[in-house]
Amino acid sequence: MAVNVTFDGSLEGFFCVVYAVYYEKITPSSIQEEGMDQLSFDAATRFIETDAKKATRVFNAIREKISEDAADNVHRAFHANHDGRFSALLNYIRLGFSVGHMVDSHLHENFVRLVHKLAKNVWREAHLLHGFCRFEETKQGAYYCKVTPKNDVLPMLAAHFVQRLMNQAWVIHDKVRNKAAIYDGNSCVISSVPANGVTVSLAEGEIETQELWVTFFNTLAIDERKNIKLQKQLLPLYFRGNMTEFVPIRPAPKR
Amino acid sequence: MDMMDKLKILADAAKYDVACTSSGSNRAAKRGELGHNVACGICHSFTADGRCISLLKILLTNQCIYDCQYCGNRRSTDIPRAEFTPDEVAELTIRFYQRNYIEGLFLSSAIVKNPDHTMELLINALKIVREKYRFNGYIHVKTIPGADDALVRQAALLADRLSVNIELPSHESLKVLAPDKTKQNIIAPMKIIREGIAQAKNELALYRHAKNEPSFAPAGQSTQLIVGATPESDSKIVSLAEGLYGKFKLKRVFYSAYIPAGGKNLPTADPPLLREHRLYQADWLLRFYNYTASELFSNPDENLSLEMDPKCHWAVNNLHQFPVEINKADYLTLLRVPGIGQVSAQRIVAARRVGKIDFDGLKKMRVVLRRAKFFITCDGKTFDKLPLYPETIAPRLRDNSQIAGYQQLSLSWQ
Repeated sequence: MAVNVTFDGSLEGFFCVVYAVYYEKITPSSIQEEGMDQLSFDAATRFIETDAKKATRVFNAIREKISEDAADNVHRAFHANHDGRFSALLNYIRLGFSVGHMVDSHLHENFVRLVHKLAKNVWREAHLLHGFCRFEETKQGAYYCKVTPKNDVLPMLAAHFVQRLMNQAWVIHDKVRNKAAIYDGNSCVISSVPANGVTVSLAEGEIETQELWVTFFNTLAIDERKNIKLQKQLLPLYFRGNMTEFVPIRPAPKR
Repeated sequence: MDMMDKLKILADAAKYDVACTSSGSNRAAKRGELGHNVACGICHSFTADGRCISLLKILLTNQCIYDCQYCGNRRSTDIPRAEFTPDEVAELTIRFYQRNYIEGLFLSSAIVKNPDHTMELLINALKIVREKYRFNGYIHVKTIPGADDALVRQAALLADRLSVNIELPSHESLKVLAPDKTKQNIIAPMKIIREGIAQAKNELALYRHAKNEPSFAPAGQSTQLIVGATPESDSKIVSLAEGLYGKFKLKRVFYSAYIPAGGKNLPTADPPLLREHRLYQADWLLRFYNYTASELFSNPDENLSLEMDPKCHWAVNNLHQFPVEINKADYLTLLRVPGIGQVSAQRIVAARRVGKIDFDGLKKMRVVLRRAKFFITCDGKTFDKLPLYPETIAPRLRDNSQIAGYQQLSLSWQ
C-alpha cells in the first residue's frame, strides 16, 4: 500500500513511521513533516501519530539489532538540513534490520553514504558550535547565546552545555528555527519562541569582559604568520555573525 | 596598570608558544564545579594566522632573569613588563569560561628570581583556580626547567597537561642561545612526569580507591622545538621527536618556525613555515602511520623535501612496495599509500567486507585518488597505464603538480 506519510517532525514521530512500516505493512512513497508536505494527487496521505512506547521500541531495536554506531548515525542524520533524509534513513534502518551492524559497510548503497554524510555534517556543525557559541551575561543573571545553525543541532548543543555550564542558568536561542534550549540550573527544556520575541539587556560589566576577550583575541595573532585563508577554512564566515570577537561590541547600556 | 593592559602584554608574551590543544583529558562535570573536559578537545576561535584558540594562554609574568636569545621576553630586551596576581588569572579564566570563550587555562611564566620560586607562583595560581573558584576545566601548565621534583609533581596533580619546552634541538645550540638552560634540567622534569603517569596508571589498575585521587597529568605532557634558529637538520629533529614519543611517552611535540626576535647569533629571515609544515607531516607519520624516523631519512643531515610531502617522498623512493591491491592489502599497508589516510583506509576495509571495490567505488567513498591512483590496483586493474618509475610519478606528486599538469596538457594539445 503506497501512501504519502506525514508525521509530527520529531525523532519519536519518525520512529513511529518506521514502526508502521513494519507492523502495518505500509510502503511510504514519501515521508514528510506535517505542514511541510506537498500536495500530491497520485496517492493518499496518511498522518502517523507519535507514540512514545512505539518510538522507544524502534530506537532500542536499532541499538540492539543494528549497532550503537547506527543509532548515533540515525540520531545525527535526522537533524540534518536535507530534504531526502527521511527516506534515506528509512532505507538505512531497513537494510540495518536485515544485515545488522554490517550496514555501515554497504557503502555502495547511495542511501548509506547519504546517511553517513549527513550524520557527519551534523556532528561537525554541532562540534564546531560547542566551541563557537558565545554567551552573554544578562541583567537577570542568565547567560544568553544566539545561534543560526544550518542543521538542527540545538539538542546536541543543549546536551553539551548542561554538562559544561551546570551551575549557571542559560538560554541557547536558535534564531533560524525560532526555538530555544532553556536551562535553569537544574533541568533543560527545548521550546519554541516567537520570532523577534527576545530582547536581551546585558549585565553590568559584561561589555568590559567582552572587550577583554576581543583584546586577547586580537593580541594572539602573529603578524609574520598571517594566513586569512586558513582562518576562513577553519572558522567559516557564517559562524562569525554570532561571535563576540567578530562583531562590533554593542554600546554600553544607559544607566 | 589596569587589567586590559596587563592582558595585552602577557598574552602577547605568551603567543609564540604553539601548543593550544585541549584534548586528551576526559572528565565529567561535577555539581558545584565549573566545566568538564571532552577527550577530542574543542577549538573556540581561530586567529588571523589560522591558529586555534582553545585556552586562555598567558604568562603569569614576563619579568625574566634569563637571557635566551630566541625569546622576546629575555631580560636584555626593552619591552613593557607586567604581572598578574593569581586571583586575577583565576577570575579571568572563570569569566571567559562562563561565556564559552575558552576551554581552559594555559599558564606559563618567565623565570622570576629562580626556577623553584617561579614554579611555586604557578602552583599557587593553579590552586586558586581549582580550589577557590572550583574550576573543573582544562589546565595546561609549563614546568620550569630546574624546578624541584616535588614542585613538578604538585603541579601535575592540579593540571591536565604539563610541558617543558626543549626549544633548541641540541646541546650545542642551547649553549650558544640559552646559556641559562641545560639539557639536563629540561629532561629531568620530563622524566618525573613520565614516571608519575606510569605510577598513577599502575595504582589505578591495583587499587579501586585510586579513582578518587586527583589524577596525575591525565592529558600527558608535550614540548616544543624551534625550527630554523639553529643549524640542526630535519633528520635530527624528527629522530629527537621519535625518541621523545618513545622514551618519554610524550603526547605531542610541537614545532615552531623561528620568528626573528632580534637576539644575538640568530638568523633574520622570514619564518620557515613550509619546513614547519613538513615537520608536522612527518610527525603525523610517526604517530599515526607507523613510520620510523630512519625510514624517512637516508642520512642524518637530510632535510625533508619541500616540494613533496614526506609520505609521497617515501613512496617514490620505495616503489618496489607498490602497487598495492585495494581489495587485499591489510590496513597498515593501505595507510602507506599516499593520499590514503586513516579515514579512507577504514572505509576501504569496511566496504570490501561486503563486495569488491573498483575505482568508481573508491570515488563514491570519497577516497581522494589524485595521489593514490599511481600506487594502487583495484581487482588487478591500474587506474591508467602510467608506469611506476620515480621520474614519471614524482612530477605529478608535487604540491603544485595540478598546475604543472595543466600546463603539460595544453602543451601536448597544441
